Amino acid sequence: MYDILEFQRLVREARFRSGLTQRELAERSGTSQPAIASLERGDGNPTIETLARCAAASGFALRMTLEPLPVRDPVVERYKRDVDRTLLRENLRRSVDERLRTLSEWQIAGDALQRATTLAKRTAARARSRPS
Amino acid sequence: MMQLERLLAVLHDASVEFIVVGGVAARAHGSSRLTDDIDISYSRTPENLARLVSALAPLEPYLRGAPKGLPFDWSVATLQAGLNFTLTTTVGAIDLLGEITGGGHYSDLLPHTLTITIFGRDVQLLDLPWLIHVKRAGGRPKDLEVIAELEILQEEIRLESDAAD
Repeated sequence: MYDILEFQRLVREARFRSGLTQRELAERSGTSQPAIASLERGDGNPTIETLARCAAASGFALRMTLEPLPVRDPVVERYKRDVDRTLLRENLRRSVDERLRTLSEWQIAGDALQRATTLAKRTAARARSRPS
Repeated sequence: MMQLERLLAVLHDASVEFIVVGGVAARAHGSSRLTDDIDISYSRTPENLARLVSALAPLEPYLRGAPKGLPFDWSVATLQAGLNFTLTTTVGAIDLLGEITGGGHYSDLLPHTLTITIFGRDVQLLDLPWLIHVKRAGGRPKDLEVIAELEILQEEIRLESDAAD
């Protein structure tokens, strides 16, 4: 997913993914190689039709979608300072199944800890109620 | 403890139309946060309600937090009479969401989903921008930390994708 203002990345990715040279893409989309190079540099203000033609020539359909605008909330921004990026990077290296399996493992550990804490509290209460 | 694999299998194998949202969706995207239940947005067509009822019936769904022994009829009629249900089952807690603040109904959310394979089954997952959007729209103070993490996650995914270019 690209921002509409990053059209150059979209054109470049479509071309790379289809294994075309700039010249080949130009021929297929009815334009010139310098025009494709210019698009990939982000020059000018191409029409949606031009972008759709380049995408189609690379074997892709150009689709438009609405995304919520990012909202800057000072509380959220403050919390961001405390987010541990290393944990996120670790997770991103895992498959989706692995991410969810570790969730289950943590739940098992959490349940065991909760049971142990309850048992310890009961034992302590019993010990306190015993006459000394 | 939630047996996520079993819950997803039961829903998928009964062809229930649902979207994984909430904490499990966040975790699937790469969040490091833990969750005790699975939240799903479900289609409220009569056919889907019937599939949902028969899929979950063997797992003995019951209203979470309600005293034991209350008459709770797990049926299409009950689902039609309500919208969002927080349930316990024999394989863990599940929230059935007929509508989500800022996200709407199942059919409203569907264009903002990814189809991903979880434990060998194709499942609809709410995409990350919309997961953030509905968390924001929910307006719950406890979600502010979650939103912060999800936005950082989005940045990290973007950085990885740029590095791979």
